[in-house]
Amino acid sequence: MRSIRVFEALLRCFPGPFRREYGDEMVRTFSQEIRGARERGSRREQWAVWLRSAAGIFQTAPQEHLHVIRQDVRYAVRTLTAQPGFTAVAVLSLALGIGANVAIFSIVNSLLLGMLPVRNPEELVMLTDPGARGMWTGVTTGDRELMTYAEFAQLRDEAGAFSALMASQSGLSRLQVRVNGGEAEEVQGRMVSAEYFDTLGAPAMLGRTYRDTDGAKPAVAVISHAFWQRRFGGRPEALGARIALRKTVFTVIGVMPPPFFGETVGDRPDVWLPLAMQPEIAPGRDLLHDDPSRLQKTAWLHVFGRLKPGVHSAEAETASNTVFQRGLAAFYSGAATEEVRRNFMNQRLRVRAAVSGASGIRDDFGGPLTLMLAAAGVVFLIACANLGNLMLARATARTREMAVRQALGAGRGDLVRQWMTEALVIALAGGAAGLAAAWALRAGLLMLVPSTVRLSESADARVLAFAVGLSVLAGLLLGLLPSLRTIRVDAAAGVKEQSRGVTASARWLRTGRWIVAGQVALSLPLLVGAGLLVRTLDNLRRVDVGFEKEKLLMLRVDVESAGYEEPRRQAVFERLHERVRRIPGVQSASYSPHGLFLGGDSGDDVEVEGYTPRDENDRSSRYDQVGPGYFAALGVPMKLGRPITERDHATSPKVCVINEAFAKKFFAGRNPIGLHVTQVFAQQRNRFQVVGVAGNFRKNRLRGEIEHRYFIPSAQPVDVPERVTFVVRTAGDAASAIPALRSAIRAEDPNLPVTAARPLTELLEERMAQDRLVAELSLAFGVTALLLAAIGLYGVLSYGVARRTNEIGIRKAMGARESSVVAMILRESSWLLAGGLGAGFLLAFGSLRWIESLLFGLAPSDPLAYAIAILLLGGVGLAASWAPARRAARVDPLVAIRYE
Amino acid sequence: MMADLPEPESLLPLSPAAFHILVALADRDRHGYSILQDVAARTDGKVVLSAATLYSSIRRMLEQGLVTELRESPDPGNHDERRRYYGLTDHGRRVAMAEARRLTAMLAQARETGLIPKKL
Repeated sequence: MRSIRVFEALLRCFPGPFRREYGDEMVRTFSQEIRGARERGSRREQWAVWLRSAAGIFQTAPQEHLHVIRQDVRYAVRTLTAQPGFTAVAVLSLALGIGANVAIFSIVNSLLLGMLPVRNPEELVMLTDPGARGMWTGVTTGDRELMTYAEFAQLRDEAGAFSALMASQSGLSRLQVRVNGGEAEEVQGRMVSAEYFDTLGAPAMLGRTYRDTDGAKPAVAVISHAFWQRRFGGRPEALGARIALRKTVFTVIGVMPPPFFGETVGDRPDVWLPLAMQPEIAPGRDLLHDDPSRLQKTAWLHVFGRLKPGVHSAEAETASNTVFQRGLAAFYSGAATEEVRRNFMNQRLRVRAAVSGASGIRDDFGGPLTLMLAAAGVVFLIACANLGNLMLARATARTREMAVRQALGAGRGDLVRQWMTEALVIALAGGAAGLAAAWALRAGLLMLVPSTVRLSESADARVLAFAVGLSVLAGLLLGLLPSLRTIRVDAAAGVKEQSRGVTASARWLRTGRWIVAGQVALSLPLLVGAGLLVRTLDNLRRVDVGFEKEKLLMLRVDVESAGYEEPRRQAVFERLHERVRRIPGVQSASYSPHGLFLGGDSGDDVEVEGYTPRDENDRSSRYDQVGPGYFAALGVPMKLGRPITERDHATSPKVCVINEAFAKKFFAGRNPIGLHVTQVFAQQRNRFQVVGVAGNFRKNRLRGEIEHRYFIPSAQPVDVPERVTFVVRTAGDAASAIPALRSAIRAEDPNLPVTAARPLTELLEERMAQDRLVAELSLAFGVTALLLAAIGLYGVLSYGVARRTNEIGIRKAMGARESSVVAMILRESSWLLAGGLGAGFLLAFGSLRWIESLLFGLAPSDPLAYAIAILLLGGVGLAASWAPARRAARVDPLVAIRYE
Repeated sequence: MMADLPEPESLLPLSPAAFHILVALADRDRHGYSILQDVAARTDGKVVLSAATLYSSIRRMLEQGLVTELRESPDPGNHDERRRYYGLTDHGRRVAMAEARRLTAMLAQARETGLIPKKL
């Protein structure tokens, strides 16, 4: 008998319906088999029966499960297509919820989680700061952001911890080239060391990559797949093509495969050129050697490596720093004092994992995107709650069907499985539609990201897995409520209930109200957050930058790469200035190295006459080297003294103008005119007499305090800049003046590259890209949440009214007026809303502290944002209640009683 | 009802278990254990179906309309109330014949090519 019990236990591998149908027969057949074997007295035969039976069960049980699932899916699809209205609403809401999440996740994925498309990216490390980009000149302290070529070369040759080490230009160069002798065109180029491709483990798709065997002066180029398609139509003759850059002709030796974009996420270079060719690619300055005589380094490279097997990154870091410190000691040996030298030596390298490469935009967008993902997650939950409510209503409506099925022998497990299957079918359909929606949304999202950022466009397995995971989660959430309900309702009660329709629907209504209150509670933080972020954007747009923003143009000219040596630069700045000023439609113009809101700044230690610094960190200031008429061109008022003019030339006394912030900090209360400011860098000292105080204005940042700053004449430079940025005040539209300005620059020297020409308003909008992205997305999420909550409320109240038709009819028959019935329903919804808003208020208050860093000009507890959100949610909620309330008021007592 | 049944050929090839069950039911209606015994006897014990394989196949064949469950025992004298008896449908018979033709044709081909002798 024991063997029968074991066999019965094994039969539990089969799904319920199969077991119920054939279980007894199988037990009977098995017992006859085993009895027969026993009667024949053969132990071997008994074992054979056992083995065969067990194997048969394990072999067929999965097939039977699959069969039941298929049946359930067929039944679910039949049920759902019979109610196209419900199904469409459910699938569309989920598509929206899942689509929004997948779209944002896909961007988070390419920006934050994506791995470099190279061999074993998890083995890569980097010795520079992944977020750093561009170039700086001078001295730095602490963790090193970028490296110089000489530092990289020393590490490559002396640090033994790496099996390979490579360097790449941290920014991108816009290069004017001619391909095969054709028209001049602009390409995005990146200079990379000979070890670049081998270190990354990225072979060419066509031809080969650049290596150190290409010699000391390799005039070769490797191009991207996109550039190959765009420029060469994907033809193999691209190999051997000639790319002329100034006087050097580079031969194309390889084409990279489509997913390869290099080491920096967000960048899509067209062409990779050898670092060794830097003097030819960007002439005018030697970036391949450090010059100890000036005590300044120019760092512009990222350095990546692969660790030797068995070497940990901490060991590699120690080994690298030993080499690095040795290099620094040699470089700074000429420092004036031991203190200065020690100060300069306070630099170190950090070895970090480089699985997802470098990215200048990750820091800017990482936080906000994660926040948006959280907001999208809340919208998803609200959508699920709405659908859960609908499912619960369906469960109530189908109580009789379920009871009949139970009476016919279906177990509770079967019914739960049926609900779950139905929910999963809806969720997967919603997920599939959501993926399509995500595609469209992603395109929209990418438009909000700065145009310079180019992210990968393909969806990868992780995004797909996320979408599927979210769909399954939605399915489980949706199936949960009707399943719980099915478990609690017993069959007999279910059959009886349908005639009265009281108990179960009352229970559903109670749960439904809780769900709606929850939705309102979740919607409020989204709406308040959206309000805060939209107001932040508005505040940023209104921020007083200290000058008139309209009709101002920035135009940057790179004189160094056109071959102008330092001594010739000031003269060309002045000639260009003269030409720019003479253009019709230009009201005024001046220049500085960095311009405004294009990034880039200069700073050094200062000694201010009569000021005693509190500590080491209290002696630095930013400065600008400006052309004559700079403040007038911007429209910045002089508060005291005079501005910088043409009279301040190379041989005249050195002067400076300070801003109000500088005056306040260093001259508190004193008249600064006639006093002196001394710029200090190593042994370099430049003493300037203050001749004026200019009004405060913003240079690069819209947020934060305005930095203290002094301005010195461009003709009396501390450091001769390699480029000049003209600030041009135009009479009409700023952008329309660009062609005339370009031709004026070309007239001076056709080789002078204009690397940026943008109206200031455009640059400011770009600065706010992240804020705009966050504000617009959160607004979209807030509005979606609001609508979903309103629909949920409408649904629950409508159902409540329908259920209480009888009661309302009796009330009216007893003399209740229409207005009192409306008031009754509105009172009910007001309680719901008040409860939801109360919980939402606490939720918002607790959670919105996290977005403080994204806000500008207001606190996370901003009363206006709260008031607007509460009024909006309350108002829309009451509006959604109005229709059910009116319907209740119109109930005809006679009809209601007959209905009963 | 007949119009809903698929062409016999569309169900081919049958699984070995299904074909054995059809053959077992060809001469008379049987209950499950009897089918097992018949298959084992006809194959000299080389094919012995397990209860799980048998009923999984029967479930499928019932759905395909190849077999039918009988309301009464075919042998009134030996009627066990608890037993469930199965019989071959006309459709099942046609499908079994189609499968037999298919197997015969395959055997003929193997003989044609000399892979197996003309007479085994």
